Amino acid sequence: MKAVVEARRLHKGFWIPSVRRSTVREHVMGFLRRRSFERLVVLDDVSLEVEAGQTLGIMGRNGSGKSTLLKILSGIYQADSGEVEIRGPITPILELGVGWNPELDAIDNTLLIGTAMGLSLREARGCIDGVLAFAGLERFANLQLKHYSSGMAARLAYSVAFAAARGVLILDEVFAVGDAAFKARCEDRYRELHRQGYTVILVSHLPSTVADFCTRAILLEGGRVAFEGRGDEVGRAYMSMLAEAPAQLPAAAGA
Amino acid sequence: MSAVASAERADLVGLVWTIVRTDFKVRYQGTLGGFVWALLKPLSMFAVLTWVFSHIFSADPNYGLNLLVGLFLWEFFAEGTKVGLMSLHTKGYLLAKTRFPRAVLVATSLSNPLITLTVVSAAMLTFLAVQGRLAGPLNVALYVAYVAQLALIVLGFSLATSVLFLRFRDLNQVWEVITHAGFFVAPIIYPLDIMPERLHFNLYVWPPTPVIEYSRAVLIHGRIPSLRAHLLLAAVATASLLVGCLVFRRFAPRAAENL
Repeated sequence: MKAVVEARRLHKGFWIPSVRRSTVREHVMGFLRRRSFERLVVLDDVSLEVEAGQTLGIMGRNGSGKSTLLKILSGIYQADSGEVEIRGPITPILELGVGWNPELDAIDNTLLIGTAMGLSLREARGCIDGVLAFAGLERFANLQLKHYSSGMAARLAYSVAFAAARGVLILDEVFAVGDAAFKARCEDRYRELHRQGYTVILVSHLPSTVADFCTRAILLEGGRVAFEGRGDEVGRAYMSMLAEAPAQLPAAAGA
Repeated sequence: MSAVASAERADLVGLVWTIVRTDFKVRYQGTLGGFVWALLKPLSMFAVLTWVFSHIFSADPNYGLNLLVGLFLWEFFAEGTKVGLMSLHTKGYLLAKTRFPRAVLVATSLSNPLITLTVVSAAMLTFLAVQGRLAGPLNVALYVAYVAQLALIVLGFSLATSVLFLRFRDLNQVWEVITHAGFFVAPIIYPLDIMPERLHFNLYVWPPTPVIEYSRAVLIHGRIPSLRAHLLLAAVATASLLVGCLVFRRFAPRAAENL
């Protein structure tokens, strides 16, 4: 079977300047002063493949490169080298949420994010009721997002993304949001999408989530794929890695 | 890099419409009253300037109309470049989380200034027509063409500066200083004739100047500028758009990394 998501030999690093200059004034004033740059390697030769209908789990401690990898797969960041091929549309939910315009209410924000995620206007309008019901926010449909609590906003985010899901779904810490009832609804919805043959890439810190939902998983450490295997195997590897070196700070790759 | 499915492209219409509609809603609180309220600023400026300067330039019977045309075209230029420059930053919440052609954010940022200019232009043309001073349809068509070219100039500027702003966070302040000075460089409150002839070409380098002067010529004075004048404006618009696209293509793929 042909892979729906294919990433080959991804490299990504950031140049961290000793002094950050982000304005015209700073550039002009500091024109003659030399700056040194340090290279922070975030992804170092990462390859992965996800076949249609599969769920790939990604584990790793903070700073291991998970978020950067998801952003590159989603087409939001650009890799320095390597290739990404996604055969089909992609719906990302990154860093616990989607972007909201705080001045707009839930309905307008749903339309905005839904269309940004690739829904047509008709599809986006058609899913509003379902989105609000799923998030349990029908009463707050006309409330501006700036008055939402962070939990409400996160619930709305997942509802929109689940409704807008098409092709490949990228989920960052999906089951870490909301109360037990909302989590259960998310899990049900996830299983439904899985049955319908959606391809999912899922980041989680919970070994049980990865074991339950992922056919395969990878463990990232210092920007490299440290381990690859079944969901439960990777969950165990992650736990033993934390047990072995719990105090280790996010490793700068290449070090 | 990654392949974008053609299905996604087809749905850009929905995204563009939603951004334009919600921007309008946020800007004007979703009411006609809010829209009229927003027009109060340029209108009150027009009232004050007419009152003061029509005494100084009392020899010109068309001073008020000239001022009106100049002021609203300028307002579009100043407002359009201001919001265009900030467009990617303002919509950073979409840029950082979802994937779609980034230029949509820059192009749609011009919708509110364009709507305002369209409404004001319609009012102005109606006023001229009622007074029986409106020249033929060719003159109106030329005016529309000038506005379109001004919009392209603003779009080109916005494409380039929206990505540069993410690297130079005080670019908006630099541009504010330039537009403050630019208001007086463009012949808005004074007739161009009071400046020495030899300076005219230099003044025309500032893009709002030719657009304002040509628009006054076709709408108020019933004159049609020369072919050379038209070609120069078209060249400026094309160059602006081209440079804007090149800069945007260079920096936009990494825009989300600099938010």
